[in-house]
Amino acid sequence: MLPILIILPLLAAILIIAASGGRRYAYAKYLALAASLASLLMLPLISTGEYNLSWISVGQAYLPISFAIAPINLILLSIVLLVGPLVFLYSFGYMKLPSEQRRFHVEMLAFESAMLVFAMSGNMVTLFIAWEFLSVTSYLLIGFWHRKHAAALAARKAITIILIGDVALVAAIALLWNAAGTLQFSQIGAMMVHGSSLGYPLYAASILIAIAIMTKSAQFPFQEWLPDAMEGPTPVSAFLHSSTMVKAGAFLVIILYPIFQYSGTRWLLFASATITVLISTLNAMKETGIKRILAYSTTQELGLMIMAAASGAILASLYFFIVQSFYKALLFFNAGAVMESTNKNDIREIRGMSSNKAMYLTVIVGVASLAGFFPFSGFFSGTALASSFSLNLYTFAFISLIGFSTSFFIFRWMLFPSRKPEPSQTNQRLNVPRPMLAAMALAAVLALASVAAFFMLPGYINSYSYYLSSFAKASALRLGGFSAATVETVLAVAGASASYLVFRKSLSLRSPEISALVNNSRLFNPLYGFFASGVSWLGDGIKSFDTSLDMLFEHVGSLTLGFGRQARLASSGSINTYVAISAVAIAILLVYVFLLGGMR
Amino acid sequence: MILADYAFAIASFLLVIGGLAVRSAFSRKVQFWFNESMLLLLLASILLLSFYPEHVVSGIFVISPYSLFFMALFTAGMLVINIIAFAYSEEYADFAILSDFALLGMYLISSSGSIISIFLGLELSTIPAVFVILLSRKGMEAGVKLLIMVSLAAAIFSIGMALFYDASGSLSLNPVSQGELLGSALLLFLVSLGIESSIFPFNLLIPDVYQGSQPYLVSMLGGLNKKAAFAAIIQIVILSFLAFHSAFGLIAILAAATMFYGNIVAMLQDNIKRMLAYSSISQAGYILIGIAASTSQGIAASLFQIFSHAFAFIGIMGIVAWLETKNKHNLSDLDGLSSENLFAAVSITVFLLSLIGIPFTTGFIGKFMLFVSAINSGFLWLAILGIINSVISIYYYSKIIIPAFAYQGKARRLSMGKASVVAIAICLAVVVAFGIFPQPIIGAANAAAHVLFLSH
Repeated sequence: MLPILIILPLLAAILIIAASGGRRYAYAKYLALAASLASLLMLPLISTGEYNLSWISVGQAYLPISFAIAPINLILLSIVLLVGPLVFLYSFGYMKLPSEQRRFHVEMLAFESAMLVFAMSGNMVTLFIAWEFLSVTSYLLIGFWHRKHAAALAARKAITIILIGDVALVAAIALLWNAAGTLQFSQIGAMMVHGSSLGYPLYAASILIAIAIMTKSAQFPFQEWLPDAMEGPTPVSAFLHSSTMVKAGAFLVIILYPIFQYSGTRWLLFASATITVLISTLNAMKETGIKRILAYSTTQELGLMIMAAASGAILASLYFFIVQSFYKALLFFNAGAVMESTNKNDIREIRGMSSNKAMYLTVIVGVASLAGFFPFSGFFSGTALASSFSLNLYTFAFISLIGFSTSFFIFRWMLFPSRKPEPSQTNQRLNVPRPMLAAMALAAVLALASVAAFFMLPGYINSYSYYLSSFAKASALRLGGFSAATVETVLAVAGASASYLVFRKSLSLRSPEISALVNNSRLFNPLYGFFASGVSWLGDGIKSFDTSLDMLFEHVGSLTLGFGRQARLASSGSINTYVAISAVAIAILLVYVFLLGGMR
Repeated sequence: MILADYAFAIASFLLVIGGLAVRSAFSRKVQFWFNESMLLLLLASILLLSFYPEHVVSGIFVISPYSLFFMALFTAGMLVINIIAFAYSEEYADFAILSDFALLGMYLISSSGSIISIFLGLELSTIPAVFVILLSRKGMEAGVKLLIMVSLAAAIFSIGMALFYDASGSLSLNPVSQGELLGSALLLFLVSLGIESSIFPFNLLIPDVYQGSQPYLVSMLGGLNKKAAFAAIIQIVILSFLAFHSAFGLIAILAAATMFYGNIVAMLQDNIKRMLAYSSISQAGYILIGIAASTSQGIAASLFQIFSHAFAFIGIMGIVAWLETKNKHNLSDLDGLSSENLFAAVSITVFLLSLIGIPFTTGFIGKFMLFVSAINSGFLWLAILGIINSVISIYYYSKIIIPAFAYQGKARRLSMGKASVVAIAICLAVVVAFGIFPQPIIGAANAAAHVLFLSH
């Protein structure tokens, strides 16, 4: 039963490629939706267990293609399979150009297939294959509009950073294989549980895996590719930020938790995630692009997930992992719809988001979930995270501050575009195509329904015994009692009110200038001005670090090309040169032989 | 055993002598079918021979899993190359007979028990190649260049042989102990075979030769001749010089230099065949990784990579041969290939993905085995350099793949002849099928590599 699930989206992609020419491209979108829905329907048919298909065996080493189906894999599978059809449905309205549809759907289906394989992978090799396919397909999708310069640049930046992670992962796999003799997650997990020491290789491998995670999930110092990846089409962003690609890193932290715990490298992930949370929260408060704010919010959420997972709160992290998928997809759907119908990108310029009541309802669900209002899913994930950090005062204070700021910036994100349109503007209502509206409504329903996961998760995770069970049992999913719930609510409300108070004047003003904002309030605005300049300063610092990283890549690139140019001259076409170079090389090598005294 | 031996001997005899007779009397088509059926017979008898344990036909001719691995590879490769040549070559009749001679030379290399038969085999396999290049007027320059470098290689090899005989008292491939004379001999063997197998810095003529020759011929030079040189290197190094530990460090350095040289210069090329020439240089670097590892695992990995690259390269050259008839020589001519001929676009993509080393192609398994064997032998740095090179290579391979599919302009359908479709499809099937089910080839490579270490 198992392989069929993967094959469906991939099969659809192959079908679309095969049916080229003519007017047949029109069917691509229906085929994509049908394939992703069909694999969703097949999900309940999958039974738990480990499936090995023999692939390579060299000597004693045996490397199968391995699929593991445990509750945690089923959770990721269902997230991908639930969000996937919504994204395809949304694309019905979004991808209007017929000429683009074929390529778009093929790449998206391949992307989804890669993530499905990733979700089921039972050993490092299968995981690496899926991981690599994710990199390649995401590169193609981010650079989908490759004739747009910014898109091509963003795609190149993404692939460069992600390839660093790929190389790190290959090295980690080789080290682990040498040290442990197996690459099966279940066996490595069991080894860790029994506390067998693998020594230095395990330590090095876990650091390399952490680097891979940091590149994939856009954690410090690799966080900058994700906001740039906004250059891709919105359905891609919605898919990439909610359930695929960036979630792969966070998922890897959870399933490889035993390795990080026993090698003692959790601090690395924790530190990187903490810095990311701080930077992206600040950036999200300063940023004005409607999709870029959401992108920074994603890196922040991934940081929180990794912080929680790295400190052992696996269930809290996993719960956040689940709910974030649905409301983030929803918010991206909203942002895309607003951008499409207004043709604007800057929240200070967009107006009249509230004019489409049906869509605005879904916006409110998304924002309330992200800000953490009761009874939306964000409230439960917020309290679960806060209570798992409540033992340490500093982290608790940090998390609380972040909770407040999150509520602040997401309301800023909502309040600016929700202003009434100016009277001069003739087009009063946002035109949102029906399929997009339907996708948003369904995503909103899922975002609401995902609350239920909070109560089902602990029982579900422990319904099947495998290597993660002991770790999952050790990390209870708690509401943290009345006090944590109160704190969470107070923070969310305070953030929202602060946002309203700070931006009240500029919201009612006709002029959307940010300078007006700074001059128009007695208490908050000077403070915000001070804060905003501080954030700008920090943001500029990060940007210059990022630019220097870019320049480094550029220089390395031009250096290699320059070397190549010189080296090409050696192949000048003259046979004399070839013979002379060979002679010099022979002379050098002979000297080498005699220096070593006959090659010991 | 007797039956298989005879079948093999008769088939190779018929291949050459019969081929000569058929060439003088019958049409080109008859010769093609005669040649192909003889090659099939040879392949069948080689597969039959592989069921019997190792045996020595004479002191210089040894049938072992190692030689059978290469003989099967060369025969199968030659089968495909013959189809390509038949489809595109005007001088097919001459090519057929000359390539048969070359094939016998390759058999001699891969099954030799002594350095003298390696030398003979090398000459027998490269001189016909030079003549085939010279057959076409355009190939004059490339042919003469190759001839000069091949003569240089032969001269250096003979000096190496002289030193080897002087120091060890024999030309048999038996283990020898260290010494300056033997060290120099090993070095000269490496240089000479390095010219043939395109190891940096002895590979500078390869791009000129590839660019100036017909694609079907390039597929033989890069797909088979170069592999035969590797067969010789592996035998000499492992059978005789395994005790020279620092030589393997040198080979590792050569591997890294070859990979970097091939990959970096390939990034700058605009001509398809030149780019592929540099890409095949970098692939030679990968093959050297396994030799540097100098373990049974490493040699098996090298053999797998040799197999993998041979078929991907022959397949690509099949497509290039077709492209040249459509007057496409540069990378920019490939824009929108998918809307002109989907089969060509998909198959060139698969071959290039295999060269990059993407999973479910043979290239991935070859590289994976190579890197693992390098790490197991303590060459972690070499494995890391190999991975970095794989990343670099994505850059220039994607310069073909992405434009081929991205641009969908004014599509004018270009048709491809039946013969070349068959040739390309065979290579495609090999690259994908053994990428998904690699075990038969891995098993054969393991057995072949194991034999070399028996005498140690």
